[in-house]
Amino acid sequence: MNPDNSSLPEPGPDCADYAICARSLVKRYKNAADPALNNLSLDVRQGEFFGLLGPNGAGKTTAISILTGLFPPDSGTARIMGMIFRESEHEIKQILGLVPQNIGLYDKLTARENLTFFGKLCGISGKKLTERIEQGLEFARLTDHARQPVATFSTGMKRRLNLAVGLINDPQVLVLDEPCVGIDAQSRNLIHEQLTAINQRGTTILYTTHYMEEAQELCTRIGIIDNGRLVEEGPPAALLQQSGMYNLEELFLHLTGKELRDS
Amino acid sequence: MLKIITATAKELLLLLRDRTGLLVLFLMPAILVVIITLVQENVMELTGQKKTQVLLLDLDQGDLGRSLQTQLKTGNLELVVWDEKQKDMAAIQAAVAGGDYQVGIVIPKDASSRFKDAASRLFQQGKGTENPPDSMTTPLHLFIDPGIMAGLRSGVTAQLQMALTVMSQEAKITILSKTLQEAMTSLHVPPEAAPLDSSRLPALFGQPLLTLTENPNSTQTTITSYKPVQQNVPAWALFGMFFTAIPIAGSILQERNSGIWVRLMALPVSPLVLFAGKAVAYMGVCLCQFLLITLIGAFLFPLLGLPAFTIAMNLPAVLLTVLFSSLAACGYGIFLGLICNSYEQASTVGATSVVAAAAIGGVMVPVYAMPHIMQRLSIISPLNWGLTAFQDLLLRGYSLSAILNDLGRLLLFFAVCALFSWKLAKRQQ
Repeated sequence: MNPDNSSLPEPGPDCADYAICARSLVKRYKNAADPALNNLSLDVRQGEFFGLLGPNGAGKTTAISILTGLFPPDSGTARIMGMIFRESEHEIKQILGLVPQNIGLYDKLTARENLTFFGKLCGISGKKLTERIEQGLEFARLTDHARQPVATFSTGMKRRLNLAVGLINDPQVLVLDEPCVGIDAQSRNLIHEQLTAINQRGTTILYTTHYMEEAQELCTRIGIIDNGRLVEEGPPAALLQQSGMYNLEELFLHLTGKELRDS
Repeated sequence: MLKIITATAKELLLLLRDRTGLLVLFLMPAILVVIITLVQENVMELTGQKKTQVLLLDLDQGDLGRSLQTQLKTGNLELVVWDEKQKDMAAIQAAVAGGDYQVGIVIPKDASSRFKDAASRLFQQGKGTENPPDSMTTPLHLFIDPGIMAGLRSGVTAQLQMALTVMSQEAKITILSKTLQEAMTSLHVPPEAAPLDSSRLPALFGQPLLTLTENPNSTQTTITSYKPVQQNVPAWALFGMFFTAIPIAGSILQERNSGIWVRLMALPVSPLVLFAGKAVAYMGVCLCQFLLITLIGAFLFPLLGLPAFTIAMNLPAVLLTVLFSSLAACGYGIFLGLICNSYEQASTVGATSVVAAAAIGGVMVPVYAMPHIMQRLSIISPLNWGLTAFQDLLLRGYSLSAILNDLGRLLLFFAVCALFSWKLAKRQQ
């Protein structure tokens, strides 16, 4: 176990071997008593399926926001494929895909129109865009519903399309913020299968979830975050073996406590 | 540029899919412009900018009544003459008190003979040293609705007073001319030796020596008088344009309150590009609004008995004003979408601020009719800048150079809104 993440080795001069490389990230929100991120360091290797777990308010969304360039940290550095946002924001955003927790789709547009719009904003056009749209629809199993407005979709269909839109630019690094919330087993199973396939093709995935079994099934490595710090990280099987726990949920509660996190 | 076009196309698609919202955007200013213009046509009558009907009951049926009618023919009063055999003074009093007519005038029986007699006696008394007694005046009875505006009251009484003064002068000159002629005859002065032809005195006295020239430095060949249609069409079109700020804010809030905004901010695209897409799409809406209201003014108004709206003069400058006004409206909508946290908040703040800006900007009541403090405040309203530009073009007939200041203010307003919006978007990330 390695709870003191600040002792992580410096991964080369430009974090070149790492898809995501965060060092000593600190973020404090206005009027908040404690920092949302408290010296968080995190490495995700290229091609890795990394699960970021943590109770409510642990700092997962703040970490994701910094790692996707939505806002800068108060201090510390975050590198994506060796680049930092301050210098290469546009380049990073070209190779980054984000699937937000809240569904980021226009209800009044059809599935195809949503894919087209976000694809064009990524700078994709012509034949390439048409191919990506078809791939996205096929990926989300929505080819037959391509002309339907998103408003008519079930939650599962929306979640699948939400994911397909995040993949429209064929990202090297895909960040997913709880992509399977509130959907049925069939849709969740499809998403899991598709994410595994994407990861096997070489896409690095950073995945946050509250479902421990999901993390155990999908992730090659997990990190447990609490109070803005990484409290544990490693492959799920190794962590369970080291801790002597039966499952990730038990380990999670052991590390983060059973106290309710309502704030 | 391609990304702006993409964002614009998306906004237009969303607008087209929201038919109810779109209908409200076009219907609201269209209904307002028709109702307000119809109402203001009546206000124009009440404020004396249109001919005011004046009841006349001539119980005398002599020269005085005929002369009064001739005098008032050229003024801004429209005489409605009642038959003296069927109506009396009580009836005219009741008609005015009941609000059917705002002004009534009664010429009493024998007023003409009393008037002529008084004029003759005036010159006979001219030989003495004492001033003529007041009893020499012939009273005409005037009834005025106490509810009419002070401006109309003074306008009507001034016109009547003017007519009576002219009639008195004419009567005096006629008597003077006759007296002079009699004097010269009695002195055996041959007509060719007289210093002037006394029979020509009325004509000479009628010759004006002072005249008022309206707007002497104006380059216009004709001065257009105030018309509510020319004022209301652009005014309410502007109001409608600025109301698009609410759906713009709504579209931003919908994105912010879902995962769309987070997704957009993670894409390789600047918030300014997204704002530009919204601005271009809604500027198109504003242009269509203006076109619709212009068509209503030009074709529907005449069917409702109103004068037709004309835009023939300086069309490019008018379109430029529409463009800059809609730019300012879009800028405000984007700012509203970023400063508010919910659609309810944005619609309340948006509606209140647009109505307030319209009120102080002169859309509802002309700026000159406001108290001094409000007149000074009106210059902070973007609707005032747009309206002033429209009035300069459509009412005063000025050219583009005269409205450049107002267009500059509208552009600056947009730039300030866009700058604050960009800062807010960055901060909210």
